[in-house]
Amino acid sequence: MTTSTAPTAPAPAPAPARRSRILSAFRLQFIVRQMVWVPLVVFVVSWLIALGIAAWLRSILDQGVNAGSPIYTGASQAAIWTVAFMAAYAASHTFPFGLALSYSRRVYMTGTALAFLAVSAGFGLLFGIGAALEQATDGFGIHAYNFALPYLMQNGTVGAGVFATLVCLVVMLVGFVSAMLYKRVSVMQLWLIILGLVVVLAAILLLVIQNDALPTLWQWIVEQTPLTLSAWLVAAAAALTALGYGLIRRATP
Amino acid sequence: MATAIDVRGVSRRYGSTTALDDVSVAFEQDVIHGLLGRNGAGKTTLMSIITAQDWPSAGQVEVFGQTPHENEKVLPRICFVREEQRYMDDALAKHAFQAARDAFPHWDQEFAEQLIREFRVPEKTRIKKMSRGQRSAVGVIIGLASRAEVTFFDEPYMGLDAVARQLFYDRLLQDYAEHPRTIVLSSHLIDEIAHLIENVVVIDHGRIMLDESVDELRGKAVTLVGHADSVAEMTAGKELLHRETMGRMARATVLGPLTEAERRRVTELDLDLVPVSLQQLVVHLTSREDQRQTQNEEAAR
Repeated sequence: MTTSTAPTAPAPAPAPARRSRILSAFRLQFIVRQMVWVPLVVFVVSWLIALGIAAWLRSILDQGVNAGSPIYTGASQAAIWTVAFMAAYAASHTFPFGLALSYSRRVYMTGTALAFLAVSAGFGLLFGIGAALEQATDGFGIHAYNFALPYLMQNGTVGAGVFATLVCLVVMLVGFVSAMLYKRVSVMQLWLIILGLVVVLAAILLLVIQNDALPTLWQWIVEQTPLTLSAWLVAAAAALTALGYGLIRRATP
Repeated sequence: MATAIDVRGVSRRYGSTTALDDVSVAFEQDVIHGLLGRNGAGKTTLMSIITAQDWPSAGQVEVFGQTPHENEKVLPRICFVREEQRYMDDALAKHAFQAARDAFPHWDQEFAEQLIREFRVPEKTRIKKMSRGQRSAVGVIIGLASRAEVTFFDEPYMGLDAVARQLFYDRLLQDYAEHPRTIVLSSHLIDEIAHLIENVVVIDHGRIMLDESVDELRGKAVTLVGHADSVAEMTAGKELLHRETMGRMARATVLGPLTEAERRRVTELDLDLVPVSLQQLVVHLTSREDQRQTQNEEAAR
């Protein structure tokens, strides 16, 4: 029979350094290569589709009054939604396995956040390269712009790349937090939270309108550049990471 | 012997449901423990709390003298393979093993590859598309090859066929002999794992009903086989756990060790003494304990 008065086992080998555990948790997100290949394929294919559509449109527009006017597409955000779903899988599927591998929630969250940052940085880099290519080639000779959108280019291709990185990061964190929230609460509670957020946003908007602050708000929005918005996105990413850890602390597989 | 896991006064409540009720138990180091109990008894909850995948509503848990929750000094030394383990989306078995190799400092890749061949784990099938038995094999391989100092198996072998289960038992014993470590096997197939375990912990309705070594437990009862009349003579006046008859022959399990005089009489009557079924013993002892606790509760009211 076992007894709790027996001496506790001495600690044999020391545990691996926390830094290497964080690295392992980081690598965990990329062991199944989908996190890299699928968004990359979506990025390239959506770009090619957008270019194809733009080329077709160019042939139509060049016959009319809009000849020579640039064509702006929104396909650059396609890959972001892909990685948002993958970030959600990091909460729903990879997290339970991470616990089985005995990662602490702190290490798992840190490794996962770093993985999201790496993917977002990759997206931002490709976005910046795409913008630079479009600028250098006048939209591939057909004035078709997927990345070098006027608003985003106010701070140059670097500014556009940084902004794209942070948008991607925030969207991934929203995907992760949403999935983690879904794990923690019931469907009813989840919808009450969503409705609560809608109420809060509506209340804020109504307060702005009530105080005749809408023009001021609009002015503020219009004055923002990709870099100033990026600063706000950094704050949002930090808040979402903290929220993610707050949710994961009491999450079970 | 040193204690690897110390659970003191642990309770776990989920709303109005009490999954664990003031559980105190210690698991000795480098012993194979059987954590037995019916479905819903609290086995998985207890293991989840010990491995920091869940936490107690009250009480304390220590693994190697430290609280495991969020403790990176202790967690890499623990492996918990669940009955229905969720893996990364679209993962193949090799992805799961690669992740395990990254996580567990004592991971043995050569041993893992040997087990992959022996359990016939498919290489190109995604884990979510595998049969239950194949998924169980993946979990079992992770548990064995991790060589974690504390390893929990929560019925991961339930999906395995008989041949694969025997293979698991054989490899477990073989590897345990070469690399002693603390292993906790949970099961409700008591007789099937009886030959593996050295210590028995039985949990029921979230409470520890039994915590004894297998040898001590088996010493509490005897099974007699022989002529029905002779068996009846030897079992008269004793608490009968189980009896079956086949024509003029009978087999009976009774509580209590035999005295010297009784052993001589067994020989005179040409009866056989055979190993007691652990399952029968555990079922009877826990039923008796359950009744006693119910009576105590009624008396207290």
